[in-house]
Amino acid sequence: MSQGALTRSVEKEAQGTFLAELRHRLPLETYVLALTVLVWVLLAIISPYFWTAGNITNILRQVSIDAILAFGSLFPIILAGIDLSVGSVAGLSGVVFSMLIANAGQGLLVAFVATLAMGIVIGIINGWATDRLGIPPFIVTLAGLQGYRGLALLLSGGMTISGMPAGLQAFSLSSVAHVPTLFLLMAVIGFCAHFMLAYTRLGRYMYAIGSNAEAARRVGIRVIHVTTIAYALAALFATISGLLLVARLSMGTPTAATGSELQAIAAAVVGGASLFGGRGTILGCFIGSLLFTTIGNGANLLGINSFWQMVIEGLLIAFVVYFDNLQKRRQAGMG
Amino acid sequence: MRKILLIAAAAFGCTMAQAGLEARAQDFSKTKIDVIVKATTSQYWATVFDGARAAAKVLGVQIATLGAPSELDAAGEVSIMENAISAKPAGIVIAATNAQALAEPIAAATKAGIPVIVIDSNANTDQYVTFLATNNETGGQKAADEIARCVKARTGNATGKVAYLTALAGAQSLNDRDKGFVEELKKYPGLTIVEHRVGNNMADRSLADSEDLLTRHPDLVAMFADNELEGDGAGTALSEKGLGSKVCLVAFDTSDTEIKFLRTGIIDALIVQNPYIMGYAGVWYALAAAHGVVFPKFVDSGVSVVTKDNMESPQMVGLLDPNKYVLSPFLGAQ
Repeated sequence: MSQGALTRSVEKEAQGTFLAELRHRLPLETYVLALTVLVWVLLAIISPYFWTAGNITNILRQVSIDAILAFGSLFPIILAGIDLSVGSVAGLSGVVFSMLIANAGQGLLVAFVATLAMGIVIGIINGWATDRLGIPPFIVTLAGLQGYRGLALLLSGGMTISGMPAGLQAFSLSSVAHVPTLFLLMAVIGFCAHFMLAYTRLGRYMYAIGSNAEAARRVGIRVIHVTTIAYALAALFATISGLLLVARLSMGTPTAATGSELQAIAAAVVGGASLFGGRGTILGCFIGSLLFTTIGNGANLLGINSFWQMVIEGLLIAFVVYFDNLQKRRQAGMG
Repeated sequence: MRKILLIAAAAFGCTMAQAGLEARAQDFSKTKIDVIVKATTSQYWATVFDGARAAAKVLGVQIATLGAPSELDAAGEVSIMENAISAKPAGIVIAATNAQALAEPIAAATKAGIPVIVIDSNANTDQYVTFLATNNETGGQKAADEIARCVKARTGNATGKVAYLTALAGAQSLNDRDKGFVEELKKYPGLTIVEHRVGNNMADRSLADSEDLLTRHPDLVAMFADNELEGDGAGTALSEKGLGSKVCLVAFDTSDTEIKFLRTGIIDALIVQNPYIMGYAGVWYALAAAHGVVFPKFVDSGVSVVTKDNMESPQMVGLLDPNKYVLSPFLGAQ
């Protein structure tokens, strides 16, 4: 082999390694984002109604509440835990909030603060039971999934609660500079959560505990505090999304957000979070939620059968998790 | 033992009746009738319960009001039914959330000697006493006629694009409504169905579906929502987009939100069933059947069209608000 050929071969190999490394280093969010953009472009080409101001506003509004729920469910996932109760907590908050207004005649502010406080207490109980009592979070929050939904049905007598002030729905429909207020609210909440996770000690502790709880404990991280805060945040975010659902529909429904805990978890996972803990970002969560909302919107705009929509969502989750695993194995192979 | 007592009571009741004595003399306070509905979370089913309670009061029987929280939960209703069968009530009044899943439990109850009155939604069996329900096909037909009338009133002729929303797949009553609607709409060749969405019986989903539908078909002239949660969602979408005066919306049932939309002109007509009578007559029939009365296999409980113009009339007020429902006294005692 001549000298030149050898150089070329080395160069080629180096280039290959660089590309391979880039492929391995890029976070999963990048691929999901690319997929979302691809779906958007495709829909914009296929449907003349997709890329219209009205429809984009719809998507932004529809994604907001789901994304907030997904943000909340991310914290326990980072800790290698899970919160299955977020959908039920959202439903219960909606019922408590609307009953405080419609039945107890309380003002918006009182109802708002009381409901948020209830959410935080629920979260603290979840976190405490998980860490201090050592019950697996799956079980603790499974109990919550049933219990809080039952409580919502019990309190409301299983009925929808109407009689919300008109201003509430007007708020959910308002826009600031053509961007729906709901979306801005979601963005602010998301930014705060992102900042907390990425730039504060608390955030780093969460990733540390999720990666190796025992190691985190040995270096002196107060695991119980961090765990409690993570579950409290999950419940708080669920409460907020429950309140926004009430605002959007102008009524409290005890069955609101049924099953949405799984969609929230799916959004987090599709957005790059690992159920084994230590991984996941707010941005990824948002992109995951956006992808699911887009698929729903696209299915409606293209007149695709709603049942196919569920199949597509299922395939998407399976595909992303498979892809993630593949990437991890490759990374491990590289050493 | 209890069964023997029941039979004895039944025989006693018959003897009393034959003797021409007042039926009210019979003490039914130990007689229990189970009323099982599709979902405890909607006003519609609460009205069924209201009617059932009113009948229970008049007849002096005990009733248990049962049901799963969600209409999606067919398995939940099956287990409620199974539990009811083992408790051996004098009769069961049930609305089948899923025609196939509830067929076997209903047949099992009949086999166990418990008379079953099926209300509202039928199951794929004939092992019941009677099916007391809205003729849902008629309801769907009326919805189509109302849509044609509304579109004609607005634009001068009944032409344009129409969409309809189904709350849930696999429910017989909804299928019948849709069938009646689609068939009847063919009588108006100018109106064409361009879209059909199936939801999961949740208002937020039907809101999103309706929004997307209105985006896709900006020239839509009319929508039909086949139950109250779909009506809530579709109405909210129209009011959000300010399309209430442009798109004719006809919806089934009478939630608070729907009535509000009817009053504000977002909803143009509500197709209203009579759930109160289903509950009332259901309990009544169950007790009668337990004493050997034979009923025809189908009894129509009626369906009405409520518009903004007639919503305050005495006949309609009771349909919109069960608290104002007045049954004319026919028992003497009441």
